[in-house]
Amino acid sequence: MNPLPTPDLQTRRHFLGRASRGLGTLALASLLDPHLLAATPPGLASQGLVNPLHHPARVKRVIYLYMAGGPSHLETFDPKPRLGELHGKPMPDSFTQGQQLAQLQGQELKCFGPQWGFRRYGKAGLEMSENLPLLGSHADDLCVIRSMHTDQINHDPAHMLMNTGSIIPGRPSMGSWLLYGLGSDTQDLPGFVVMVSSGRGGQMQPIAARQWSAGMLPSRFQGVKFSGQGDPVLYLNSPRGVGREDQRKVIDAVNRLNRLEEKRVQDPEIQTRITQYEMAFRMQASVPELMDTRREPAHVFDLYGCRPGDGSFASNCLLARRLAERGTRFIQLYHRDWDHHGNLKNDIRLKHDEIDRACHALLTDLKQRGMYDDTLVLWGGEFGRTPMSQSGNGRDHHIQGFSVWMAGGGVRGGTAYGATDELGYAAVDSPVHVNDLHATVLHLFGVDHRRLNIRFQGLDVRLTGIAGEVVKGVLA
Amino acid sequence: MKFPRLFLPLSALVALSLSGAPAAPAVDFNREIRPILSDRCFACHGFDKNKRKAGLRLDTREGALVGGKSGRPAVVPGKPAESTLISRIRQSDPDEVMPPPDSHKPLSSAEKDRLDRWIAGGAEYADHWAYLPVTRPTVPAKKGRVGNPVDAFLRQSLSLEGLAPAPEADRPTLVRRLAFDLHGMPPDPETVERFVASRDPGAWEKLVDTFLESPRFAERQTQLWLDLVRYADSIGFHGDCTVSVWPYRDYVLRSFQENRPFDRFTREQLAGDLLPDATDETRVASGYNRLNRMSTEGGVQDKEYLAKYAADRVRTTSITWLGTTMGCAECHDHKFDPISTRDFYSFAAFFADLQEQGFYDRGFGDNEWGPKLRLPSPEQKSRLAELDSAIARANQELDAAPDSEREAGRSAWEAVVLALDKAGGLSWKIQKPAAVSTRNGAVLTVQGDWVRAGGPNPDTEVYEVRLKPGAGRWTALRLQTGTDEELPGNRIARNGTTFHISGVDLELPDPAGNRRVELARVQVSASSEGTPGLAMLDTDPATTWSVGEGHSRDHQAVFHFAQALETTGTSELVFRVRQESPFPRTTVGRFTVALSALASPSAAGAMIPDDVLKSLRLPAADRKEEDQARLRRYYRGVAPERIAPLTALARLEAERSMLLGRVPATLVSQARKEPRVMRILARGNWMDDSGAVVQPALPGRFSPGSGTNRLTRLDLARWLTDPSNPMTARVFANRQWKVLFGVGLSRVLDDVGSQGDWPSHPELLDWLAAEFMSPTPALAAPGRTAHSWDVKHLVRVIATSAAYRQSSVGSPRAVEKDPFNRWVGRQGRFRLEAEAVRDTALAVSGLLVERAGGPSVRPPQPEGYWASLNFPKREYVPGVGEALHRRSLYTHWQRTFLHPSLAAFDAPSREECTANRVNSNTPLQALVLLNDVTYAEAARVLAAEALHRNPGARNPDPAIRWAWNRVLSRAPKAAELGVLKDLHSQQLGRYRGAPAEAIELVSVGSAPLAPDLPPAELAAMTAVTRAILNLHETITRN
Repeated sequence: MNPLPTPDLQTRRHFLGRASRGLGTLALASLLDPHLLAATPPGLASQGLVNPLHHPARVKRVIYLYMAGGPSHLETFDPKPRLGELHGKPMPDSFTQGQQLAQLQGQELKCFGPQWGFRRYGKAGLEMSENLPLLGSHADDLCVIRSMHTDQINHDPAHMLMNTGSIIPGRPSMGSWLLYGLGSDTQDLPGFVVMVSSGRGGQMQPIAARQWSAGMLPSRFQGVKFSGQGDPVLYLNSPRGVGREDQRKVIDAVNRLNRLEEKRVQDPEIQTRITQYEMAFRMQASVPELMDTRREPAHVFDLYGCRPGDGSFASNCLLARRLAERGTRFIQLYHRDWDHHGNLKNDIRLKHDEIDRACHALLTDLKQRGMYDDTLVLWGGEFGRTPMSQSGNGRDHHIQGFSVWMAGGGVRGGTAYGATDELGYAAVDSPVHVNDLHATVLHLFGVDHRRLNIRFQGLDVRLTGIAGEVVKGVLA
Repeated sequence: MKFPRLFLPLSALVALSLSGAPAAPAVDFNREIRPILSDRCFACHGFDKNKRKAGLRLDTREGALVGGKSGRPAVVPGKPAESTLISRIRQSDPDEVMPPPDSHKPLSSAEKDRLDRWIAGGAEYADHWAYLPVTRPTVPAKKGRVGNPVDAFLRQSLSLEGLAPAPEADRPTLVRRLAFDLHGMPPDPETVERFVASRDPGAWEKLVDTFLESPRFAERQTQLWLDLVRYADSIGFHGDCTVSVWPYRDYVLRSFQENRPFDRFTREQLAGDLLPDATDETRVASGYNRLNRMSTEGGVQDKEYLAKYAADRVRTTSITWLGTTMGCAECHDHKFDPISTRDFYSFAAFFADLQEQGFYDRGFGDNEWGPKLRLPSPEQKSRLAELDSAIARANQELDAAPDSEREAGRSAWEAVVLALDKAGGLSWKIQKPAAVSTRNGAVLTVQGDWVRAGGPNPDTEVYEVRLKPGAGRWTALRLQTGTDEELPGNRIARNGTTFHISGVDLELPDPAGNRRVELARVQVSASSEGTPGLAMLDTDPATTWSVGEGHSRDHQAVFHFAQALETTGTSELVFRVRQESPFPRTTVGRFTVALSALASPSAAGAMIPDDVLKSLRLPAADRKEEDQARLRRYYRGVAPERIAPLTALARLEAERSMLLGRVPATLVSQARKEPRVMRILARGNWMDDSGAVVQPALPGRFSPGSGTNRLTRLDLARWLTDPSNPMTARVFANRQWKVLFGVGLSRVLDDVGSQGDWPSHPELLDWLAAEFMSPTPALAAPGRTAHSWDVKHLVRVIATSAAYRQSSVGSPRAVEKDPFNRWVGRQGRFRLEAEAVRDTALAVSGLLVERAGGPSVRPPQPEGYWASLNFPKREYVPGVGEALHRRSLYTHWQRTFLHPSLAAFDAPSREECTANRVNSNTPLQALVLLNDVTYAEAARVLAAEALHRNPGARNPDPAIRWAWNRVLSRAPKAAELGVLKDLHSQQLGRYRGAPAEAIELVSVGSAPLAPDLPPAELAAMTAVTRAILNLHETITRN
């Protein structure tokens, strides 16, 4: 008989004196008391299930700038002069024969040249859109992966794949995996925080809460969405008429009564419950403190180009830095409005503006605060866009080739990794699948993606499914 | 169709190959060896031939004895030393050792020894337990007092382990346990009192039987079932639009309430439309096949999504009934269990006859989400029949007179219209309002021709617009609604999705007092189902003209005056737009008002379509026959003598449409004439058409062989509950065990395959499965005859056992020896599920409204939670009245944004089949119980009740005791009472000094206030009841 899903959990649980049901009790226990698991090799200690780490970590946290809607690689990070030469001409059949299309099904396929020019930036001469000069000033720190590809051509399943490595609902998202594997570095804030901003173009694809779900992992590992509207976290504010001191008194009574019960029945869940009430109470103060940026000096707002609480992407980037400072491990900023089926030239210009200063500010700020080297900044969407035109002024969804970039600890800066073909259609040189990207992110955290798994429905589920290779070429 | 007995090649092989007497102690293959082989070996040496390494398979004895490419047997029975399996696992060379180091699944030395002993003992294989037929084991001989067979099995294993059952729990705990397990909510206080006081030796059995008959039992079982079949009120993909399928949920409720045999329940859901005696009830049940997620995303390819829906059905059906994970066989042969990709697609082919689309074009009409069934009540049915015949009659009468009889009238009409056309009189005269106002606080502003609403958005509102049209003679008024970027969602209404207009009125004030202008008819550009324009002209505010999802553009309603309206230079018209419907905050956001002067014969001229005008303007000689036909056709609608009968007809049609709007509809299965072709998709790739075409078939090992007729969903349903199918009854019994103990006998509820969990008590599980399929009459409730597949009987048998009544607190020795309680020497202790957490607060506060079934309801949720939903954009509009306090089973289930207080307590999104909810313990749960208005409201209502029942302001003790007892069904201990008394006195002082805050707290939520109680006292007691509702014990079943 094999009484436990992961045999080594049993001894650890015994060690903790927690004969408990459910998954991840250990991870929680260590979340609550980081000192419990002190006896690990130096440099490899973790607060989570993966302890010791599989290899030394390069980063402690990730700020994932998630460009929802599918940014065009052809107007941002993947220069294709040949496509410009063929503008308006039929797309060669050799590229598109038998390939999946979304809204261009059954239409005549014509080349659509890049709508904006490219420039070389930095010592490395990394080519990026001419509209990204501020971000370009960090070119020697950026590693652009130009050979991304994915399997899913519609937004919703493509988001699922990009977040969870699977299109079946119920799989944990990357942030949940990291929290499950590594635990949290903060006692006052959630370890996985999500924020959503909207662009000025008005093309707002929906984003389901399952994108930050913990799936079959316990829900304490799920992303917590912080919102600029209403309560910053759901149910954060005490009921009307209940002041902070009143709340404290009620929680004190609850905890005292729970302790009395614990003496009677020795249920380890009770201690967890007490700890969670304390955490909730702290969050009621720490989240508003986090969200209240008014005390940031004026030059910070100048750097980011936002005003306190304006809900913009730039404002969320500032909050991401504040979260990073406070120990949040996985910070995911969804920035919507990249779905440029039409009017691409003007609308993507809005996006250039929205991201250029904000990303520059975030990278600068992290560097100034000495956090750059242990933070991973990841920028990218769920797929790219076709080299063919849609309705003469836009691009359709595209899965064969697109770009993302990384910066921060352990990343090989000033690099363009991989390549699409001469028309930007398919990743041909060193293709990187979504699973590979995930494997690489986990690698930077000191985690072997093949060894972070959970038994579910009789299978060892992991973020990278049954695939995934670490992309060594993007690592410093 | 007849199903043959299980084909058992492995057992047969074992029987033939046994040789000699085993030399070592017997090792049980299924319990001790299969889990090792499955976890460490089968991935490369198992059923999946594409992944098989070195040609070796270890999942069959034959394969192990033959060996792989090396030509040497992996296993030589009785001779571990000669078996390469043993030499490879004992290798120290990392290039040679098995499993390879990069699998990160090393064998422990105990496991290696076990494999050694197994081979030494003859290397017997046995068929996987879950695939063996269910045979009823003999109940172990009872020692001591006569008990229930469940106890006989459990006692036997406990004594083998040197353990003893825990003593019986106290009576309040027992009745609470039973209520949470069977009803998903706490017991009523009277029930507790009666049971605690009863001296009847049969009191427990009677309690169980009473609980089984309660509608609450059906609600609880329905909740469990809905997780499996992933029932929800929205479609799940992309825009996640709402869909009406709640009649299916009510079907499930009725089935459990009536204790419908589970085999019939199965047939009705999978094939209710195919049954020879199909009824509306069974067709509603067939909605099971339509509960999958659906997409409205532009760019979706039908074929791709049909493949997604098909795979989803296979996963759901195989886990729900068979407890088997077939999902991975979508792309490759199952690595651990004998399920091939062919099996997967053959299983999917059972459902290839369903009428469905991959892409659903959002919009109105009967076909919005594929086949659906309307379910009128008998009254609605007869009224619909009356209306249908009246409409047919009216049409007949209208058609009686041919166009030729109207030619003279038409010429006259044409002359008038042409003259007006020349004079420019056909156009609408937009009226810039002279003044605007509202009744309930919204702010109207005039911008150019448009009136825009802003500011507060009250639930109901009446816009008033004053017009000074100048001198004229007017025949109609047009209300045009417009889109506006400042409006939320699809930008036509203030709530983000839909506007409703319950009525309009027009007045021409004159010196003699107001004169109401009679509006004879209305024409609208579009309307949502069941909300015709005419609804604005009746006096009922509940009926409305509404435009919503999918119609984000300008709309208009033209009101025809009964008589032309004369105005002078100073006349002022008052026009009101009323939104007094039960749909809160659904007011129009932007509009214009225009008048038409188009004279007799009909104001409809003002809506003359362009093509008609074009024909009209042609000189008679130039008109072609199609122009004449067009004009004749149009004139049919405006001929003066036809206006009255046409209006009467429109009224009938409006009533029919409104009635239909109130008739519930639900998605159902409907078979296509020709089933879709189902192919094996290589690696799940839907674009690959090269795979073999498959017919519906059961997984290979269960295949009934080649028949001549194509198998149907009904065949599948029959097989699922055929006594020869070993899985369904075991899986169902195991899940009920989990409900009643917190852990299944086999702990993996969604996979009983090789990677699942060997049951702690296989004989007991088999006995329960057998008892489920064919009950023992003697175990039935008094006066009841149990039938086969009897759910209530199964639950009764387990719940009446002594094991069920054990305390959940084990002795230190028992906890030490059996930390995970695999031998069931005590009861379980676990947090309530999400629905029960909320229902408990509602029940103990008395707020709970218990009514079974009906459309889903919307309790309050934090504002902005749906902000990321789009296509269309929408705002969550909470319900009113009873809807706020129904059981959580009826809460609107929005798949991509599930109600956040349920989601916090691990309720699944129901996008995917869920057999096992996680049960976590998070700070967000604390925030919900502390701060969600639902719980604060429950606390203050509970506090008021405690004070009302225990008057006497001096001493709060009785009220605190009462509230404690109401929530926890027991008296507080002295220390517990002390904690709450301290809290109370501190808070009383605090709120006496802050009366405004006390009033705020005691008026949270929408429940009636308790004006007779001093606010500070009620607020202090509310602090006490908040604490009680937040206790771990309150949300724990033990």
